[in-house]
Amino acid sequence: MLLELSGIEKRFGGVRALRGGELHADAGQVHALIGENGAGKSTMMKIIAGMHRRDAGSMRWQGGEVDFRKPADAHDAGIAMVHQESLLAPHLTVAENVFLGRERVSGPLLDQARMLATARRLIEEHRFPLQADWRVERLSPAQKQLVEIVRALHGESRLIIFDEPTSSLSESETVEVFRLVKQLRASGVAILYITHRLAELDEIADKVTVLRDGETVHSADFADLTTDQIVHHMVGREVEHIYEREPLEPGAEVLSVDLPGAKFTIRAGEILGIGGLMGAGRTELCQTLFGVTPATEGEIRVDGRPVVVRSPKEAVQAGIALITEDRQRTGLALPLPLRENVTLANLTGVTRRGFLNNREEMRVASDSIERLRIRTDGTEQAAGKLSGGNQQKIVIAKWLYANPRVMLFDEPTRGIDVNAKREVFSLMEEMAREGKAILMVSSELPELLQVADRILVMREGSVVAELPRSTTQEEIMHHAAVG
Amino acid sequence: MNSSALQRLLPFFSLIALFVILSIASPYFLTATNLSAVVRQTAVINIMALGMTLIIVSGGIDLSVGAILAFSGTVGAMAMSSGQPLWVGILVGIGCGLAWGWINGVLTTWLKIPPFIVTLGTLGIARGLTLIISGGLPVVGLPKELAFLGEGRVFGLPFVLLVLLVCAAVTHVILHQTKLGRYTYAIGSNVHAAVYAGIPVSRYTIGVYAISGALCGLASMIETSRLMTGQPTAGQGYELQVIAAVVIGGGSLTGGEGSVIGTLIGAFIMGLLANGSDLLGINPYLQQAIIGAIIILAVALDEARKRRFSS
Repeated sequence: MLLELSGIEKRFGGVRALRGGELHADAGQVHALIGENGAGKSTMMKIIAGMHRRDAGSMRWQGGEVDFRKPADAHDAGIAMVHQESLLAPHLTVAENVFLGRERVSGPLLDQARMLATARRLIEEHRFPLQADWRVERLSPAQKQLVEIVRALHGESRLIIFDEPTSSLSESETVEVFRLVKQLRASGVAILYITHRLAELDEIADKVTVLRDGETVHSADFADLTTDQIVHHMVGREVEHIYEREPLEPGAEVLSVDLPGAKFTIRAGEILGIGGLMGAGRTELCQTLFGVTPATEGEIRVDGRPVVVRSPKEAVQAGIALITEDRQRTGLALPLPLRENVTLANLTGVTRRGFLNNREEMRVASDSIERLRIRTDGTEQAAGKLSGGNQQKIVIAKWLYANPRVMLFDEPTRGIDVNAKREVFSLMEEMAREGKAILMVSSELPELLQVADRILVMREGSVVAELPRSTTQEEIMHHAAVG
Repeated sequence: MNSSALQRLLPFFSLIALFVILSIASPYFLTATNLSAVVRQTAVINIMALGMTLIIVSGGIDLSVGAILAFSGTVGAMAMSSGQPLWVGILVGIGCGLAWGWINGVLTTWLKIPPFIVTLGTLGIARGLTLIISGGLPVVGLPKELAFLGEGRVFGLPFVLLVLLVCAAVTHVILHQTKLGRYTYAIGSNVHAAVYAGIPVSRYTIGVYAISGALCGLASMIETSRLMTGQPTAGQGYELQVIAAVVIGGGSLTGGEGSVIGTLIGAFIMGLLANGSDLLGINPYLQQAIIGAIIILAVALDEARKRRFSS
């Protein structure tokens, strides 16, 4: 057994992230790690990768007990990690990032020509849409993910951890990642693979370990498990669908969009889904509606009145809210407490006579925690310390407090567990019932089918189809990829 | 040439433009005497700015460079005036600078205090110690040979120019061709990525501050040479000029950006402005205002270029 973890414990402040982590991974195997957000998967992986030190328990690597004090120790031991949120130096190029910490030198100087050539070769081999001399700050999240993967591949590691590697990738890039993983497996590398997309397990998983509330609750060969059983272990009860919904009778028109490539309306009580592949323009549509990249032509109406949205500020004034796909970067002030994040879009609401009213803010924060069932130490916990699902709830709470007419959700369930997903959808439905227009961009086709009233499919910057609720995943994918 | 490359070269074009303008505006500008004077006058700031480039690229800052200059110059001078040979005095000066740089680096990494605060503190400590050690009096009786460092000529060019060029070349190679330079950029660009990549961030940070300190020590010897006394009150306000040189040349205080060539251009732009103002009789107080305005302009243009570039 290459890697053996048992009884791993880890606390962060008052929160116990792990209290009984067990894992046995072998060479030449893809070991999937499944669990809700907050279940402890990322924490366990970070302990293996040397980014955190465990509080208790035993970790054996290649037969001997190890205690990694820093990431370099894990690297030296032959362990590499591809992170969910890419950890690259933006001012450096792709090649420089691939070799960061492991530079090739000739004498006292860097052998830049050789590193560039090697990086180019790796990129070409895998046909990644990258150039080795591009600065990383220019790359999209998907491309940054690919750089991370190239970096891990180059390190000649014996164990590679993939933390949701396909979450930002397109279909074809995902297929390539699977091919890589299988190739690595064939060459004897041990793979630990965290994913929320249970469908991916069919492709690559040999073993599955399920974590729940910081504990390993089940571990078995994938062949011996059904998806329903896996989900059962994740949440502790049988789950058949993620969400069920009866669409409401739509009311008056709330949002009317007439832009090049996108003409649609959303009525009160409706949830409009937007499907499509990465790069189809879904996020760009949201950003235009929210004034991040304002439209140069066309018209947007809210409640029948034309509105001009040249900046997020004007969008908020017009009653439009955007829950972004990258909550850590554009949705939250991570070092600030939950309370301050929740009121951030509507400080006027907690201002009395020119001063911020602490008591009112506390009330809003406590109400939000209760209404949205946010799992936290309290109103003062820094947003950065919460798990993905709870962070998403803070973002939603923030916008709810700003009382918008239109709520745009961009990948609302990315990186969050099944239970939190249901809660998010339930909130969306509640807001729809209150008469708001809800728009939901999602790459999770089953979720689109279960939650949305209608589904628009985008491809290459335009809406190409409008499908009813009763449509199928195949039909959505057909319009998204083929036409 | 696309517009982004154009904007990157803006400091260089500004320097050329300034050069041309001054050549036209004053008949004394383009003379060997005047240009040599400019080189000598900017040499100290220029060499200090090379060290500051490393620090700013790493995402840090050092407000104590002027104080380090004063301390190193005074102690180096004291070594020489007490009978030590010239080369010993120079090594002492460089050594003092290195030591203060090392202290800055250690304090900021071990105590995890932001460099702004640490160097604000060492600025005061160094100046205080300088005054105590010297009794507040300038150090006199320095060997005549010392004058060559600041005022001498070699092949018709000021000797300091050679010193500056050598320091600049070495710093350039370090920044762009060595692991130290690569890690300096990485740490300034995303320190988490650097830590995760296994880079010993503390070690390299201390190294960067130490190298900068040593360069300040060298600069202090040139300053002492020009004054022919060890002046405990030297270098007042130099830190702002040094930081300005790096920033005008494209360095970003948030880290990950900056270059030796840019810094040289930035320092010369300021040097030419000062020189031009003297030649044209412009109020020296106005010079300060102009430099302040240029710093803002330079950074604003750089930000605009970056924003257009990264969308």
